[in-house]
Amino acid sequence: MKNESAIAREFLAHGRSESCPIIDMHGHYGTFSGIYFPNPHADRMLLSMDRAGVAAIVCSSHAGLCEQERGNAEMAQVVREHPGRFYGYRVINPNYPEAARREVDRYPQDPGFIGFKFHPSGHSYPITGEHYAPALAYANEHKLIVLSHTWGDSRYDNPELVAEVAAKYPQAIIIMGHSGYGAWDKTFAIAREHDNIHLDLCAAYRVNGVITRMVNEVGSHRIVFGTDQPWFGPHHCAGAVCFSRITDEDRHNIFHRNAEKLMAPFRVS
Amino acid sequence: MEWFDCNAGFGIPSVPSGRFASTPQELLDELGFCGVKNALVWHAATKDESAQTGNRLVASETRDHPGLHPIWAILPLATGEMGTLDEWFAAMKTNGVKVLCAYPEKHRYLLNGLTFGPLFEEMCTRNIPLLLDRDWGRITSLLAEFPRLTVVALNHSSWGDDRNFRPLIERYDRFYIDTSSYDLDGGVADFAARYGPDRLLYGSAFPAMQMGGSILTVAQADISDDAKAAIAAGNLRRLLSEVKL
Repeated sequence: MKNESAIAREFLAHGRSESCPIIDMHGHYGTFSGIYFPNPHADRMLLSMDRAGVAAIVCSSHAGLCEQERGNAEMAQVVREHPGRFYGYRVINPNYPEAARREVDRYPQDPGFIGFKFHPSGHSYPITGEHYAPALAYANEHKLIVLSHTWGDSRYDNPELVAEVAAKYPQAIIIMGHSGYGAWDKTFAIAREHDNIHLDLCAAYRVNGVITRMVNEVGSHRIVFGTDQPWFGPHHCAGAVCFSRITDEDRHNIFHRNAEKLMAPFRVS
Repeated sequence: MEWFDCNAGFGIPSVPSGRFASTPQELLDELGFCGVKNALVWHAATKDESAQTGNRLVASETRDHPGLHPIWAILPLATGEMGTLDEWFAAMKTNGVKVLCAYPEKHRYLLNGLTFGPLFEEMCTRNIPLLLDRDWGRITSLLAEFPRLTVVALNHSSWGDDRNFRPLIERYDRFYIDTSSYDLDGGVADFAARYGPDRLLYGSAFPAMQMGGSILTVAQADISDDAKAAIAAGNLRRLLSEVKL
């Protein structure tokens, strides 16, 4: 193998790196309608995480994407049961604005949550819409993380719309889930323009050459590791990072350093 | 561990989507970066220009690269573009082609017995694998018509296709899946626990997909070393050894 990365060689030999743990900033939880999951729940997710050296994962529950109050309560229970391994995003479903408002009000009740999860495409509601505003204002006030699904050709969460939100709420930390998949040029441009935007590798890692471009055009200090687990296994994303033409310093940034910085205010020992 | 990629390509694509290998040597460099020494390969011209051109180029350009094994695309017998069946199989033998592929949408034909009956019957007899992009309805119909045909489904959807392909695995002994998109968490191990490792073939889907993801997924799946070796190269080597030209 001509790849000389020490981290890549360690992952290939042992499945994990002692010096380079992983923090997964884009996870889910539970079963979902259109897919068979071998590992939908915490016990089996943890086995996968351990095999890949994933120290912690930040999840939103699939149930929350449908029924936010029930799903967020489920996620809170998982976070309580696995402190330091599971963290949570509180899902906001803008189609039920009163319930969404209650979820914002409940935010301080659950330690181990680090912000909000939006899925504008899934909810057919634009990220710039007024029903997201209370959560964004709260995240802005408290410097929380907002992980939003983003997709290049979506009318609800394309990079231009994300840029509007990033400009309006500059203290909120916006993680672009899937990095505006497909609209790479626009995504990289808005990430350069807005310091509060970070790029998530989930699904984007599959596209050949994108990780290298992301590092070269935005910088590895703005990229976080994400899998959608239990959708995608951590080794697939890790393999894409290990075998991209980037340095091991970049790999440290992507696998854990950036997430450690973002999560520092929220860490549970 | 030996790696033998069942799903890679080279050549200049008409619409590049990212990093690609324009020549066989560039592809070998990409493969070598990940520790892969052998690959079944198609040429970009096969899809973008014509099957005839792509078949000619992939054969001629891989001739001096023993690690690259050419794949040819089929066309309907009725138009005569493949020549006679005797001529076709003789040309496959001359050019070291042991695997065929089909692009029914790109090349605009129906992939069925009416269009390809004598070819598929002969492929069954000769154990020649047919590589196909996922279209579960099409593959189901094809296997119902030719249950002894060796079919490898490539590039399945990572958004969850086990519910589609597992029934085919259970029904047809010569149906295989490549691992390029099998990034489902725990998917490889779960599949192997139920069906054994023999129906999975390592594939990268290069240049569309990043090569390393599938490698680390197989290398670190929760399965035995023997099972990993089978998926990484052994299963494909077995299929190729069964081909009679």
